[in-house]
Amino acid sequence: MRRAARLQLLLGLPAVALIFVFMILPITNMVEMSFRTPGVTEPFGNDYTLMHYGRVLGDPYYWGALGRSLLVATTVTVLCLIVSYPVAWHLSKADGLKMVILYALIASPLMTGVLVRNFGWMIIAALNGPLNQSLLGLGLIDRPLRLLFTQGLVVLALVHVFMPFMVLPINNAIRNISPSLVEAAASMGASRSATFRDIVLPLSFPGIQAGVTLVFVLAIAAYVTPALLGGQMVTYMPTQIIAELTGTFRWPLGSTLAIGLSLTTLLVVAVFTLATWRLLDRVRA
Amino acid sequence: MTAAATPFGDAPAARYGFGLLVVLLYVFLLAPLVTIVGASFTSGMLIEFPPRGFSLQWYGQFFQRDNLVAALLVSLRVGLITAVVTSIMAMMAALAGQAMAGKLGGWFQIGMVLPLLVPELLTGVGLLFFLYKIGLGRSLLGLQIGHILMSFPYAYVSISAALRQVPPSLGEASSSLGATGWQTFRLVTLPLVRPGLVMGAIFAFINSFDLYTMSLLLKPVGGTTLPLALFDFLTYEFKPTAAAAATLSILLALVGVALVQRLVGLQRAF
Repeated sequence: MRRAARLQLLLGLPAVALIFVFMILPITNMVEMSFRTPGVTEPFGNDYTLMHYGRVLGDPYYWGALGRSLLVATTVTVLCLIVSYPVAWHLSKADGLKMVILYALIASPLMTGVLVRNFGWMIIAALNGPLNQSLLGLGLIDRPLRLLFTQGLVVLALVHVFMPFMVLPINNAIRNISPSLVEAAASMGASRSATFRDIVLPLSFPGIQAGVTLVFVLAIAAYVTPALLGGQMVTYMPTQIIAELTGTFRWPLGSTLAIGLSLTTLLVVAVFTLATWRLLDRVRA
Repeated sequence: MTAAATPFGDAPAARYGFGLLVVLLYVFLLAPLVTIVGASFTSGMLIEFPPRGFSLQWYGQFFQRDNLVAALLVSLRVGLITAVVTSIMAMMAALAGQAMAGKLGGWFQIGMVLPLLVPELLTGVGLLFFLYKIGLGRSLLGLQIGHILMSFPYAYVSISAALRQVPPSLGEASSSLGATGWQTFRLVTLPLVRPGLVMGAIFAFINSFDLYTMSLLLKPVGGTTLPLALFDFLTYEFKPTAAAAATLSILLALVGVALVQRLVGLQRAF
């Protein structure tokens, strides 16, 4: 290799150091932390034990939090896919100024903080807020619904937070479908619906797979939304983890919970990827 | 071929039905932002939408709240440092990535975006322990490191995409004419990747400005960021001041979107 090229490689060192020292080492650290004994004055002790794993596995309270997180993340992912697909399809057909405007409408919420967007839902879902007012006005309900601090609102707000993450990859996948395929189908007499069902939908699958994986992984570990909109009564895995770390200062227990959540996420993603592998293979062929 | 209006054919029913659906979904997407901006201008005493009358009083209130203003300043400063540091590191890393071939290059790409692939919660928890261990627990420097780490991939993705657009022949031509590596970078490469570089810095800044979970875990003693202060404010005194603070954050996002459109175009950026 030329000397200049070798020097160019060295430019990557600061970034590699950043990721290694402040991400890979700390996560290894967390695994170690989960085996520590509980501390008395410090957040952790000096000896090693398996007690936290036993405790987490044996306590229905943590299983409940994990189950709730899994359920919410799955619901959010499915709803997100349903509401994002039409938007992605519509966006993929736009061009010129219309396309720029649509992209701006999707990017603006994406670039606004999660906390701010959740706060918007707090206003909308308030007892005398615009949502209740419109439902009353339409005669769909007799008295305002209590929406704040419900699981439904958490799901709604999370769908909103992650919608751009689903819309953008699906839009890109649809844009990558060669127009000649669609034209060929049409010229052979396939109806628009048939073309969509047999060509566009399957060929957009790589985008769906990317979006679904991304949204699920982000949704199951989301902290702010359940903390702000979920109320005090229900615990989710991420809120429980943060409570152990910053509230009760039981770091080994918090680490064990975080590892449990990560392994569960990994398992779900692996199963989903394997289950859809053949589908993706067919698309590639 | 004319552009299709719906995936299900062009019958009027399909057309209007699908059109209405898409409009409603965009309303859903924008509703929280519109609501906040509206509520921030109320002349009443409560957070409500539609707002009562029009006034700027809550913006005045916001700037009189020392703790909120201090948090805003912390967020701005941490965000600016994050933007500068990540874009320089990402520029260097993108150049290194360019010189890598095959499998190594692939692994390098994944490594560089690792903070995006692993949930923020997990990275934050690990970093909390690690910073405590090396004596940077609950310090502003620790928080700054967390923000740099989480924002780095955004800068890297923008900059390496811009670098891929530069034809390698330009660099070769420049060095065959006797330019040093640094001269080639400064006079040929840098002007061509500048839009991507600036965009990377903008993404890094906005990501840092909006970070919540990482900031909560690494919260320094005596300092807090705007999202953390806003969360507490919303929990304890739900007043339109919060809407004014949130509107500033939305404004920042809109400026970011406009800049990205001008620099490289939204379609290429997303």
